[in-house]
Amino acid sequence: MSNQSTAAGIAAAVAAGRLTAAEAIEAALARIAAIDPGVNAFTDVTAERARARAATIDADRAAGRAPGPLAGVPFAVKNLFDVEGIPTRAGSKINRDREPAARDGALVRRLEAAGAILVGALNMGEYAYDFTGENAHDGPSRNPHDRDRMTGGSSGGSGAAVAAGLVPLALGSDTNGSIRVPSAFCGTFGLKPTFGRLSRAGSFPFVASFDHLGPLARSVADLSLAYDAMQGADPDDPWQAPRPVEPVTAALAQGATGLRIAVAGGYFARGGEPDCFAAVQRAAEALGATRAIEIPEAARARAAAFVITASEAAGLHLDRLRARPGDYDPAVRDRLIAGTTIPAAWVHRAQRFRSWYRTRVLALFEEVDVVLAPCTPCRALRIGQATMEIDGVTVPARPNIGVFTQPISFVGLPVVAVPVRVGDGLPLAVQVIAAPWREDLALRVAGTLEAAGVGAAPVAE
Amino acid sequence: MTTPPLAPALPPALPLDDASAGAIVDAMMPLVGIPMAPEWRETVIASVKATAAAARLVLDFPLDDTVEPAPVFRA
Repeated sequence: MSNQSTAAGIAAAVAAGRLTAAEAIEAALARIAAIDPGVNAFTDVTAERARARAATIDADRAAGRAPGPLAGVPFAVKNLFDVEGIPTRAGSKINRDREPAARDGALVRRLEAAGAILVGALNMGEYAYDFTGENAHDGPSRNPHDRDRMTGGSSGGSGAAVAAGLVPLALGSDTNGSIRVPSAFCGTFGLKPTFGRLSRAGSFPFVASFDHLGPLARSVADLSLAYDAMQGADPDDPWQAPRPVEPVTAALAQGATGLRIAVAGGYFARGGEPDCFAAVQRAAEALGATRAIEIPEAARARAAAFVITASEAAGLHLDRLRARPGDYDPAVRDRLIAGTTIPAAWVHRAQRFRSWYRTRVLALFEEVDVVLAPCTPCRALRIGQATMEIDGVTVPARPNIGVFTQPISFVGLPVVAVPVRVGDGLPLAVQVIAAPWREDLALRVAGTLEAAGVGAAPVAE
Repeated sequence: MTTPPLAPALPPALPLDDASAGAIVDAMMPLVGIPMAPEWRETVIASVKATAAAARLVLDFPLDDTVEPAPVFRA
């Protein structure tokens, strides 16, 4: 197996007896040892556990038991997922003092039940309040396409690990864009499912109203395989919606034929570098999409997400802010402290606006099936870059990286980030957005772009 | 029966300046019990102002009283 191997390819090779799980894991561990010091994706490597798990899978197969759909696939998780025996640090210094997790997070257990093998935990922006992938405690994750550049965040290690070919599959979390932004900056596929679709049990929270978990990978088939393996009711997550398991892998072959696809105009057609919109146009042309629609009041949606995020995160962290404020990453701490001053009436109003906005957005999906929008307003910025220029105006970099992702996650729509190259520059991505619970449509369109050669996630050289 | 929007009759709310934001922060820290170091104050104030500007966008949008908050609790 090579660093280009997909999860589907590895699982097929293990099932056919051409590759053992042990070989797949040794290859991944060797790549991590060789390459990770340069990209700083991993904070923990669970080699012993992975080798034991691989031996079990190989023994099961030798005994004639069918391996799972992800048999032998190495994967890693953002370090806000519980991993048995490791304190769930969530990118922080403070959480290292927690008791080691007593069991794996729900999605880790589900991937392993499908045959995948956890090889480690991944760097992230502290407590997920981040779009850069920088971290004052563990150092920044580095973009495999240009190691002086940001990975994007907060799932920065997840983007770096997949783009560098260390693993074919990683899990991240996305509250305001934290799967989609690293997918854009690192050039990977990423899936943020519908809010409430996948269990959040056994992960460290950030903003209960907006937190989502999901996969990053280098192919749409791999996203789908992982997503299908992670679906299903979990009584440990009270926020999970009561939905049946709705597998998508078999539906990918249907492609985008017959789907009504539109490009988001207005807010989503300005306020970024021209290439971000060129990437959307390239995707639209490949899909034959000529229609434009306007998502109403998107700027206000982003503002409301900003207020709710700041307030809920401050509430979550209040005791730590009181006891150990000096132990936070300063870039995170000062925003959390500010969040404690927000009037409750503003938050209530923002949650009421969210209802209004949801009604208007859902109405759009009576007219179209899928909406295309840029993922970020720029390519990966330099590590440490504090400002960027948009339409000739210098703006703070950190909050503005998520300008196009926040209005979408605000109402929990499923999105596939599809990496689309424009010119010879660093990667960019397009958001392929569908109505709630229609991950299948977003993945079918993403798969069509991949098949057309427009969406691609090659391993960084 | 819907309530007419109130926005046109609202008194003006001025943008938050540094002094006002600083006064809010200084008053709130003892209330919420956070021992804020003096060197953090400037960035905290900047964040309070950014949040207030975002909130202004939301508060300026009239909503009917019948629009419920998005999160729904079920006993």
